[in-house]
Amino acid sequence: MLLTYLADNALRILFLAQQHAELVLISVGISTVLGIGLALLSESAPRLRQALLSVSGTFLTIPSFALFALMIPILGLGVAPTIVALAIYGIFPILRNTVTGLEGVDAAVIDAAKGVGMGGGRRMLTVVLPLAWPIILNGIRTATIMLVATAAIGAVVRGPGLGELIFRGLARIGGANALNEALSGVIGVVLVALVLDLLFILIAKMTTLRGLHV
Amino acid sequence: MSSVIIARRSVSSDRASVGILPAIVAALVVGVFVYIRVIPLDSIEARSLEVPLILNAVWEHIQLVLVSTLLTITIGVPLGVALTRKGARRIGGLILVGANAGQAIPSIGVLVLLAILFGVGFWMAVIALLVYALLPVLRNTMVGIQQVDRAVIDAGRGMGMSTRQILSTIELPLSIPVMLAGIRVALILNVGVATLAAFTNAGGLGSIISAGIALNRMPVLLVGSVLTIALALSIDWLAGIAERLLRPRGI
Amino acid sequence: MSDQPGCGPDTMIFLDRVSKRYPDQPHDAVASLSMEIKRGEFVVLVGPSGCGKTTTLRMMNRLVEPSDGRIWIDGKDVTHVDVDHLRRGIGYVIQQIGLLPHLTIAENVSLVPKLLGTNKVKRLRRADELLDMVGLEPSTFAARYPRQLSGGQQQRVGVARALAADPPIMLMDEPFGAVDPIAREKLQMEFLSLQRQIRKTIVLVTHDIDEALLLGDRIAIFGEGSRLAQFDTPLKILTNPADDFVRDFVGAGAAVRRLSLLTVGDVIDRSTPLQDYLQSTVDIHPEESVHRALEQVLAAHAQGIAVTLPGADVRFIALQDLLMAAAQPTVATS
Repeated sequence: MLLTYLADNALRILFLAQQHAELVLISVGISTVLGIGLALLSESAPRLRQALLSVSGTFLTIPSFALFALMIPILGLGVAPTIVALAIYGIFPILRNTVTGLEGVDAAVIDAAKGVGMGGGRRMLTVVLPLAWPIILNGIRTATIMLVATAAIGAVVRGPGLGELIFRGLARIGGANALNEALSGVIGVVLVALVLDLLFILIAKMTTLRGLHV
Repeated sequence: MSSVIIARRSVSSDRASVGILPAIVAALVVGVFVYIRVIPLDSIEARSLEVPLILNAVWEHIQLVLVSTLLTITIGVPLGVALTRKGARRIGGLILVGANAGQAIPSIGVLVLLAILFGVGFWMAVIALLVYALLPVLRNTMVGIQQVDRAVIDAGRGMGMSTRQILSTIELPLSIPVMLAGIRVALILNVGVATLAAFTNAGGLGSIISAGIALNRMPVLLVGSVLTIALALSIDWLAGIAERLLRPRGI
Repeated sequence: MSDQPGCGPDTMIFLDRVSKRYPDQPHDAVASLSMEIKRGEFVVLVGPSGCGKTTTLRMMNRLVEPSDGRIWIDGKDVTHVDVDHLRRGIGYVIQQIGLLPHLTIAENVSLVPKLLGTNKVKRLRRADELLDMVGLEPSTFAARYPRQLSGGQQQRVGVARALAADPPIMLMDEPFGAVDPIAREKLQMEFLSLQRQIRKTIVLVTHDIDEALLLGDRIAIFGEGSRLAQFDTPLKILTNPADDFVRDFVGAGAAVRRLSLLTVGDVIDRSTPLQDYLQSTVDIHPEESVHRALEQVLAAHAQGIAVTLPGADVRFIALQDLLMAAAQPTVATS
């Protein structure tokens, strides 16, 4: 049953899965810029940094349906509200890991960089960020996996992706293909998460400085 | 999702939020009620925003969250304890790995699949919430017990405590903080997933939001969303206070 | 116990050819070890890491179950008795202390009496007594929680807890190992004087030979594979090491350490009658250590030291002879 359904709708499901992945990656991209940016901006303001962590963390307690819905009056239906809502959820894990990563850089290394005459910006780009990168990347990965699941709810604001299949199944409860649609939506989401997770493992391998490999 | 919420706790400064959060929540709720009094409502909006209707939705939401969280604790804590006992530890590890992978399943998926397979309504939604929130409670119970300082257990054995006495006087009290953290996460997840329960006819604040979307009435949508956020913040706030009160002294 | 040849009325703990084998390990952690510990004796188990000393200690209260052999305590074979009951009658102190962080100091100290069913009033009174005994003011400390105490204070509580049910035996696994050196020395001295009052049978594990020499009535030096290289008094171990292993383990400072163990009285036969009070500007009691006597002589730039014996007889020991006491250990073995 499921297999026939999958075979008949393979193209459509693959298209939705691709949309789903793109949607998540774009949102995570925005979260990453915001997360790392806010961490860097609050470098010398620990109380601001604490407040940012607190606020972005509190966003996680907000039910996703409510946040998605709140985007409608501002951004209407479709891709834009979905991306904005997802990006908001994604900030916290990235911000937190960036802060942890930056704070974890050995003070002696920073001192040494100062000692050889590196300026603040250069120090950050060539020494501090590369050293903190594995932790930051892990935060991005966590955010991504979380958003893959959350993005399924984006369908309530006509967002793209596999959520559509789940909601179609819901709308046709009792109908012949309800279970197949919902199930392929759910399995699709899990597979997208798996693929992106593998992608991150690969990225981590490729972008971590050689000396940091354990 | 739950692992991220757990991480949140380590940074959100509870002390600050204790003062600020109730003020934010009060402002949201008052704002909403003033808003629906002030703006002109058409007949559809007026009907969707009658106060008893709203209060009923809030109450349904709270019921969903409370019942499912209580069931989650009732099942998750004893099961977690059992899985840390000698002989069950390997199964426990496997269950954790499986459950962790299960986190990738979207909550709406669990809810919809259960609805399609077994029907809709309050109790089916409770089961979906329970399935989804069991992981953090189960995991934190197990982690909580596993992280108890081996030296304290060794001292307990050395002074002649039986396995049961070690569980009741050492392992359980010392794992309470971690367990409570897991329960708080379950609570947060349940508030969120309960919003989606509106899609399977289980009521709650989600029904106001989805009515707002379906009828294309922004005031309805706004009231539903803002009240949902206010409820979520209050429950998290209360859970934070309970967490601090229930934590054994000295830890 | 009549069927136990190595076990007399004075015997408190008797290990009869005990072994411990762990699966997947080529060698026995402890191999057929026999050991007799007398009532009221302070025995220190010492040796390099991995020699099986801790395993041996933990077999005495069966935190490690022996694979072979039998354990006798106070004339009874306890190899197969109810283990929780056995442990309630044996005090146990570990390096990590293991206080229950969610219980107050008083509650921690009264845990074993509680397990034994002593009523609360008695328990708390006993806790106060014990805190006093280990030098912690009950009114200050009883209601505190462990993390409010320093490491040294916590270990005092650990000792008090082990003494709570007044067990005849105390097992101590590196009890002073986690404490900073200054506090450690203080704790050791206080514990020694406490032991002089309470006269428990104590078995203590350490890797620190100096601690062993300071504390033990007898010292069991473990070699590789739980071989009992020597089990004797500190002085005998310093003066007559059984083999090269013991000599190496005791180390280079043996001669100087011996000076701390010998009293002036022990070397009195090297003395001459005091000829002339001008001969010495310093004097010392015969029960002080030779080490101390040397210190005084050197500090005063004296030729030697006067010793007043009980019969008011005053003797003189020359600096030379004090030093010889260290070099030629054959004198005075009590």
